[in-house]
Parts: sequence; C-alpha cells; structure tokens
Amino acid sequence: MGYKKYSDEEEENDEEEAEDVDEEEEEAEEEDEEEEERSRKRKYKGSQFIDDVAEEDDDDDEEEAAPRKRKHRRASEFIDDEVAVASDDDEEDIEGEEDFIQDEGIDMIEEEDRGRKHHRSMLPEDDQQENVEDLEKFIQQRYGRQEYEEFDEAETTDVEQQALLPSVKDPKLWMVKCQPGHEREASICLMQKYMDMDMHGKPLLIKSAIALDHLKGYLYVESEKEAYVREAIRGMRMILQREVKLVPIKEMTDVLSVEKKSVDIDQDTWVRVKNGVYKGDLAKVVDVDHVRQRATIKLIPRVDLQALALKMNEGSQKGGKDGDKNKPRPAPRFINIQELQDLKISVERKRDPNHAGEYFEFFGGMQFKDGYLYKGVSLKSIDSNGVVPSFDELQKFQKPSDEGGTDAMGLPSALMSKRKGQFVKGDAVIVVQGDLKNLMGYVEKVDDDDVFVRPKDKDLKGSTLAFKDRQLCKFFKTGDHVKVIAGTHEGATGMIVRVDLGSVVILSDTTKEDLKVFTANIVESSEVTSGLNKLGDYELHDLVLLDQSTVGVIVRVERDSCQVLKGNPDRAEVVTVKLRDMRKKLFDRNTNAQDRDSNVVSLKDIVRVVEGPFKGREGPVEHINRGILFIHDRHHLENGGFLCVRGMWCVALGGSRNRIDRGGRQGHTNNFNGGFRAPMNYLQSPRRSPLPFQQGGGGHGGSTFGGRQMGRRRDHGLVGTTAKIRTGPFKGYRGRVVDATDHDVRIELESQMKVVTVRRDQLSDAVGGHYYNGGGASFRESPRYGAGSETPMHPSRTPLHPAFMTPMRDPSATPIHDGMRTPMRDRAWNPHTAMNTPLRESSWDDANPSTWGNSGTPQYQPGTPGGRQYEAPTPGGRSWANTPTGSFSEAGTPSESSGPSYGIPPSPYLMGTPGGPPMTPGVASYLPSTPGGQPMTPGTGGLDPTSPASGMGGLEIENKWGLPEIMVTVRKPGEEAQVGVIQEAMPDGMSRVALGSSGEGDIIVATHAEMELVVPKTKDRIKIVSGELRRRTGKLIGIDGADGIVKMDDTLDIKILDMSSLGKMVAS
Amino acid sequence: MFFHIYLERNMQLHPRHFGPHLRDKLISKLIQDVEGTCSGRHGFVVAVTAVETIGQGLIRDGTGYVTFPMKYQCVVFRPFKGEILESVVTMVNKMGFFAEAGPVQIFVSNHLIPDDMVFQSGDVPSYETSDGSVRIQKDSEVRLKIVGTRVDATEIFCIGTIKDDFLGLIGNPGGGA
Repeated sequence: MGYKKYSDEEEENDEEEAEDVDEEEEEAEEEDEEEEERSRKRKYKGSQFIDDVAEEDDDDDEEEAAPRKRKHRRASEFIDDEVAVASDDDEEDIEGEEDFIQDEGIDMIEEEDRGRKHHRSMLPEDDQQENVEDLEKFIQQRYGRQEYEEFDEAETTDVEQQALLPSVKDPKLWMVKCQPGHEREASICLMQKYMDMDMHGKPLLIKSAIALDHLKGYLYVESEKEAYVREAIRGMRMILQREVKLVPIKEMTDVLSVEKKSVDIDQDTWVRVKNGVYKGDLAKVVDVDHVRQRATIKLIPRVDLQALALKMNEGSQKGGKDGDKNKPRPAPRFINIQELQDLKISVERKRDPNHAGEYFEFFGGMQFKDGYLYKGVSLKSIDSNGVVPSFDELQKFQKPSDEGGTDAMGLPSALMSKRKGQFVKGDAVIVVQGDLKNLMGYVEKVDDDDVFVRPKDKDLKGSTLAFKDRQLCKFFKTGDHVKVIAGTHEGATGMIVRVDLGSVVILSDTTKEDLKVFTANIVESSEVTSGLNKLGDYELHDLVLLDQSTVGVIVRVERDSCQVLKGNPDRAEVVTVKLRDMRKKLFDRNTNAQDRDSNVVSLKDIVRVVEGPFKGREGPVEHINRGILFIHDRHHLENGGFLCVRGMWCVALGGSRNRIDRGGRQGHTNNFNGGFRAPMNYLQSPRRSPLPFQQGGGGHGGSTFGGRQMGRRRDHGLVGTTAKIRTGPFKGYRGRVVDATDHDVRIELESQMKVVTVRRDQLSDAVGGHYYNGGGASFRESPRYGAGSETPMHPSRTPLHPAFMTPMRDPSATPIHDGMRTPMRDRAWNPHTAMNTPLRESSWDDANPSTWGNSGTPQYQPGTPGGRQYEAPTPGGRSWANTPTGSFSEAGTPSESSGPSYGIPPSPYLMGTPGGPPMTPGVASYLPSTPGGQPMTPGTGGLDPTSPASGMGGLEIENKWGLPEIMVTVRKPGEEAQVGVIQEAMPDGMSRVALGSSGEGDIIVATHAEMELVVPKTKDRIKIVSGELRRRTGKLIGIDGADGIVKMDDTLDIKILDMSSLGKMVAS
Repeated sequence: MFFHIYLERNMQLHPRHFGPHLRDKLISKLIQDVEGTCSGRHGFVVAVTAVETIGQGLIRDGTGYVTFPMKYQCVVFRPFKGEILESVVTMVNKMGFFAEAGPVQIFVSNHLIPDDMVFQSGDVPSYETSDGSVRIQKDSEVRLKIVGTRVDATEIFCIGTIKDDFLGLIGNPGGGA
C-alpha cells in the first residue's frame, strides 16, 4: 500500500472510525490497524517533534495548520465513502461471513483509491514544484493503468502510456529491507516522520514510501538519492539500515503494476475460490453480475453441521465466532436436508427472486440448493484463470444422486475452460458447436484463437474453415491407440474402448485398467508405454521399504506419488505413497523363499498359488521379501497384475530361470537326472564369487559359493553365548552375545548396561564351549579348500545339539542318518524339479554341447546332502551356518554316500508330504532372527552358502556399517527424514551424522537403525560399507540392476559389487 | 485373417548337426523356431507349409556355427481392425472379458459389451442379460469384432466389441447356443 507523504495520521484515524462502524467484517484488518496505531502511539511518545496535545486531541492537530482543516473536510468525505464501502461489504457478509478475509483485498484497493483522491486534492496546495511534477507523473502512471483496466484500450494508446514511464530524470525507487510483517508499519512511520521533520523545517527528501502487500520484508522509498533514503530511514528499528538497493528504471513500473487479468468469468465456468474456508475449492459459476463485480457460485458445502446446530440452538453467535479461526476446515460434503432436520437446524425454504424464483434452502445465513452451497462472492475472490478441474474433482462435484450428469453438466463446461493450444496440425477434430456441428475434419493450421480445419466431407473438400477452438473437439474412434499427454494419467498409452463427448475411456496397455481421460489430453500414438514409470529413484515394479516392517511393490507411478501394493498376503492392500514416504528401494535379486513343498523359489521362478485368497493364480515371482512373494500374473487385472502371497501358499512350477541363485539344490537335482550336468552350475558361480578354486573342485558343492557376502552373515550359533573380550578398549569384559556376524560381534557387557560391537578376533576363545560353536561358523569357509577332510572336526562343532551329536560323531551311523534323511529326499526327486531338467537340457544343448563332461558323479550323488543337512538345523533351528560343513563331511565320506538314500526313489511322491512339515519348524525359527535370511532355505542353504548369504545381503547389511564420509538418510521416529553425512562411526554402533547433503548442517547422533544408505548414482564416489572391501573407496561407474560397477580408487580395478554394500561418499 | 506367404529367415546351425540329415535338421529347427511366434508385421506364424529354398551356408567366424538363408512358405494369422472373429472366452472380470481366437488375445471391455449385459461376480464370473438368456462366461464362444489392435514386435493384442448386430454369444461351454 502506498502512502504519499501528504497522507497524514488523520486519515488513518478517520478510517478507523469508519471501520468501527462495521467492526465485524473488518476485524482482521482492524487488528492490523490497531497494531499500527499502537506503534504509532509509541512513536508519538518517543517523538520529540510532536507535543503531547497532538497525541491527545486530533482536532487540535487539525487546527494547527490551515491545510489540515481542508483535509479534515475531505477526510469526512472519505468517511462517507468508507461507510458506503462498508455497507457494501455488509451485504456480502450476509451471504457468507467467511468472506471478510477475501474482501480485504477489495478494501485495500479501495483504500488505495482513497489515497489517490487524497493526493489529487492535495495537488494544488503543494508548493514544491518539483514534487508536483513527480506526483503528477506518479498519479498519471497509476491512473493510466486504471484507465487501461476500466476503459477501452482505444482511449489510451501505447504511445501515451510510454510517455508516462519513468525516465532518468525522475526520482528513483529504492528498495529497503525491513522486518517481515512490518512493511506497512514502516511506511506509515516514514510518513509520520516526514511530517514531523517537515514541521521542524528539516524535511526528509523522500517522495514516497510504498509497501506492497505481496512483497514481504521490503519497502520501496522514492527519492532522488540514496543518501536521502538513508537519512529518512535512520533510526527506524523495523527497517534494516544497511540494505538500500536501487530499483532499475525498467523495473520501476513493475513495482507498481497491477497484474492485469482478463476476467473471463461466465456462467458455468469453473473457478477456484481464492480464500476463506473454500480456498482452492472448485466452484461453478451460476450467475455473474459484471456491473457489481459479483458472482454467485455453486460449491460443495464445507459446513460443520454439528457446530452449526450447536451454535444455532445456543444462539451464541458471538461466542462461536472466536473459535472459528482455529477450527479445522470441515470436509466438503453435500448437505442433506434430512440431516439438518435431525440436527434440529431450522431450514427456511423459499424462492430466491435473484435466481429465477427457484426454491432454495436457507439456514445459518447460507443458501443451498440440491445439497450445493450457493454463495455470492466478489469476482476478485475467485480465480478462473487456468482452472482445469481434474476428473476426480468433477466426479466429486457431481452429486452422487444425479445419474449421468457428468456428461450433462460437467464435461462440456470442463471443455470450455480447457486451455488453449490443444490442437496441433493433423488432429482429427469434430465441430461441437455452431452451424457446422458434427462436421469432421483435420486441423490444418492453428492461430491464436482460430483453428483452421479442412473438412473431411467430400463436398467441402478443398476449403478450409476457421473455428474457434471451443467449437472443436478432438475426435477419436473406439480402438484408436492413444497416448495421454496431460493430467493424472500423463504418459499412459492405451486403446480407446469408449468415447463420450469430451472424454474417452482408455484401456491401458500395461495395466489393463480403464482410464477415463479428456479428449483434450490425448493424442493418437502408436507407442506403448505404461505411462510414468519412474519417480525419483524408484521405478515401476520396484520393491520398496515403506517403514521398518512394511514392504511393497510399486504398481503404478503417478506424477508425484506411487501406488504400492503392500506386502500383506492376506488381502491386496494398495496404498498411495508419496515419494518422500518411501524409505528405500530393496534389492532382492539374490533372495529366495520356500514354497509349500520347501522348494526354493527365486526371482522369476514361476509359481502357482494353491492357498489363500489368490488360489489358482500363477506367474513369475517378481520380488521376494521375508517369505512373501510378489507374483506377477498377467491375467490379474488389478494392481498391475501383482499379487502378494506367502511363499508357503505356492508351489514352484518347472522352468526356473534363475538357477544360479539356487545353486546347490539344482546341482543335485541334476545329478540325479543326468549326472554330467552338475558342474554347469558350479561353472557359473565364478560370476558371483571371485574365488577361483571352485571351478576345479566342483565337488565341494555349495560352499564354493561363499563369495563376497560371507562377512555379513549372521551367526546365530554364537548369539546368546557368553564371551570375553580379549583385547581392545573393552579388554577383559565379559558379556552376552546379542548379535554376531563373521567379522563383528555385539556383546552386552555384564558389568555395564551397554551393548558394544567388537571384532570377532578380539574375543577370547576361552569362554566356554559355546563359543567354539560360533567359531564353527568360520569353518564354513574351510570346506572350500578341501572336502571331506574336515569330517573329524565336526563333532566338536555341535555342542549345542547334544541330542544329535551322537550320529554326527559316528560317521558310520548310516541308519540313523538314513532315517532322518528319508523324508527330505523327496526334494531331490521333486516332480517339479525333475521337470526342469529337460527344459534346461534343450536350452543348453546348442550352446554348450560339449562343455560339461561328466565328472565326479558319485561324489555328488550324495546330493542327498540336501536332505542330510536338515538333521542339524531342524532341531537347532539357529545355526544354519554349521550346516554346510556338516553336509560336506557327508559328501566327502563315500562310506556314507547313501546307498540307502537311493534305495527309495520309486516312491518319491509318497514321501513328498512328510518332507514339507519337518522343515517348517526350521524355517519358522529362522524367521524372527534373520529377517532377510529367511529365504535362505536350509535345504539349499546348506549346500550353497551363497543363497543365504546373498539373501541377507540384499536386505540386511551388517549391523554396523556406518563409516565416515558416507551419506545417509536419517529417520528419527516422528521426524522428517533428513540427509546427512556420517562424521564419525562410534564403536557402540551410534554415528555422529552431520545433516545436509554435504554435511554442513547440525550434528546429530543416530543409531544404525535410524540410518539408511543413500543409494549412490552413477559417477558418484562411493565407499564400500560391507564385505571384504569395507572401507575401500571408489567410483561408481555403472549400475546393473542390483549390482554396481565400481572402479576402486587404490587398485583402479573394476569390481562388481552389490549396490547395498555401496555408500555414497561425500568428501569432507 | 490368414495369409499364405513366403518368408525368409537365416538359420544358425551347430556344426555337430552337419551330416546326412542336415536338411532335415534345418527344417525341424526352422519349424521349431518360427511356428507360434508372432511378428508385428506378419502376425502369428501358424504353420510352415513348405521350404522353398535353402541357400548356401556361411560359417560364422569364431563360433563354427553356420548360417543358412532359408525361404519358406507359411500360414500366418494377422488380426485386423474391423475383422469379425469367433473366439473362446478365457477370462471374465468386471472390466470385461478376454477371449482367444487361436493365438491372438482379444479383450472386450465392459464398455463394449451391450448395456443390458451386466457383470455377475461369483464362482463363475460372467456377463449376463437381465433375463439370464445370454450368459458369457469362461469357455463360452463369442463372435466379436475387432475395434483396435496393438501390434508390438512380438505380440498382437486386440480390443474387440460385441456391441453390434450379430455379435455376441454363439456357443456355451457345454456346447449348444
């Protein structure tokens, strides 16, 4: 708001007097004014220029100087003016009290007008000629613009307008920073100061001070020189003294320009309410009065009936009012007269002469019809520019009871307000309005408003007709393949299955869902996309972590959110998740799970659901998480074809494509079907495990898969035992092991209430026999170097399972093993797996005809180890780590090699069932302790440490991965996730994290559970957080699915590492 | 629509097949390779009827495989917009039903099903007229018109309608109309 220097305080006071008349509606503003008044008063007190009389009596003030008197007269005129305005506003208030906020804007403009009148009247009296000119210019500038708005453009030509623009000779505008919220106050203070100084004969040399409502924290001062401005603002506390910036001449006009709007509000246009309770709501214009600048709009009411009923019954209008501001905004819903009666709200039903005498319901000062609220608003408080109602909104606006009304009322008008430029050359269009309605043609050329159409009709061929774009509508036929180019379904493609006026229904290519879109938003296209399939770092069909315990698969990507099918096997639950609510992407490529028959199921395996709500469905497994499978069934039309089922509800069908992941089992399966095939799996393993020895020694089966992820494995054999720390800062402490991996052990110290993490080699091995068991885990690696030889060692390994020690110790105890093994054996003969073989055979046939020679079949034959290893884990349920060794000893011991186990093949199917159950407990017991590791499936796990290891690898990184310089997302419960950089990883598992993407922010302490690695992008510098290469740094040069291709810093080697082991590094 | 056309293809053969039955081997491999495939251009290859010529083999450097250019005659099936097909319903759901006409899958959206037929969920989901006289469920035979095709490199997907004269149910699963 601008106040010229001539404005004085009276004006303000008078204004307030006037405002007192209608205090209700001006409440908010008044508060403002009051505040200003107060501060002015304060200023008075402190002011040396004004005597006390002035403060007490305004009239005195006026009598002081002759010009003042005049002004006073004018000020009273002004009161009239104000009253008139106020009454105007009053009317408005009858219609809706909430209006008073939006009316503020009007008032302000009116205020501005007042100011102008004021200035104009003052003009002749001014003695400073120079200022008069400025002022004139200034006023003309303002008025010029106003004319521009009010009158025909013809009256003011561009040239005239140009002449009004400021030149170098004119005073300059200076931008001054002030405390936000005190802009007006500052400008008024400046005004006051000007007057005071003027009276003392030391006038300030500023011309004007302007505070703009839309510009927070700044004030414009008009003056010739910067020094004058500085002089003027000196000592004013709400103005920052330092910053005085010159506004370039070119931009001066912009400062005071009012955004010109082409108000194009017509009946039936869609508008949005700018403020009040209905802010942002879609409304439809019912009636416009351009003269009075008012419109009647139709809205979905946001009326809190309960509160209204309460208010009405108590009759405490005033009391309820204060609460209004803090009350939550009621949800929009249609008003039901029945409901009103139930709440004993008296409803008046009468005709409204303004609206063709239709019946309306009146209550609570509001007017309703058919459940909609009819509300009179000023044109300024609604926004019609670029209002494109979305389909959802239109549907909501549609009262559920009106059938088929969407087409009748929603769409044509929605079409009206559609934005321009929707037609491009070549579009097929149909005329929807005017004489040539239903004429079809192709767009030839598009001008601003006109679209030139070449009619399809033969008789009219050759001619080109011009239409307004609102007369046209894009034309599509059922079966056309189109792409959506705007709106919520932007990017989707599909075939049109239904055409309505203005909208079509599309069958999406990928999701096979119906999408309803406006014709304006589609173009014909032959391309096939699923629409958006990427949102941030997440892609369609990614497995994401929603919170600590919930995972889901992204089944649909929208513009700023995803639909995620939650990992809830009991019912399909789809939630819409914003990007920031997704915690991270899970890489589960190496995970596997068990099916009903305890077969290993890996990604891409085809399974059939045999239980649960999705019984009968089948399809490839897309994701696995904690025994829950996400299956993609292309016949399933919901959720993009994704189903979430328990692994236990499925049976794996033949044709596994991901053999590598299964390692052991398949190798052995194959042995039975064609012994020579076995090595093939092992030959592939080098891909994943860089250890060279496995190729030669295929005989060691699974253990060769040890590979890089060894280090992360949990060792549950050790958990719960008591250990003593041998060296390091906690030397001599004893404690209970709460968690253990190959490298580290977390120990709860006995003497302190504290859990510490120590390296494994810092533990004393003298602590009880139990520890040895833990040590046993490290044997896992040894079998790689020589099968069989370990056999004697194993007995000592199982102190935990005394019951089973006996058979273990006695390798010749074949009968016992045998007995226990039998149920398992069926796995090897499992019909499904057996079926695989031919398939595989053919696929390998041509490619590798001679690679696989035969080999140590007899040794592998014990493939039965697959079964054998269950003996140990099943009862123990916790130390799968031991198992591989166990099975190896078996494998290596020909004497054991299961003559008996082969004896029974003829009845595999019979055995099948018993096979399942015994395993189940084993599996179950894994669940709680090894969330990620569950799918490791003891069956193969034993033979193929890779699968368990990698199973965990994908999901769970070593519990203490934090390393300095790594970028993490910190999620404290109840707080927003923040990005930070680890500064220091403390030994107790806590990390000091500096917030901010480069660690410039505050430093907080976070546990590992609260931190997540920020997934690095290509070209990022990375630090390896787990595995053998932990702490090494490198550069990520490529990403291949869940693997990252890393160029190591020190060796310059290129390594392929699991993405989950890579942390983005921020150089500090 | 079915077409009997000539197609060409380069076949790669492993050297171990070189011998007296090379030609047979090639042909059987060709049949194995192409029958049942779909190309966006020609549609589904239904059957290879004859092998016209087998050109001279070319040994691929490094692999030992030999490439033979083959020209063969085959029956292809390609659906067209506007074509009337008879098909068997494979799945019914609330959004419409899927039907198969030989190798091609056709989706009939509920928007393209006559308005008097409504979806009945239940054990056997179906579309049924209100009087129950017409009932489309899994395995029903339906005559439909293709209104749109989407041709990918390896798949042809069609959208059909039964909302037209003489379209709709022509046979029930049990047999009979």
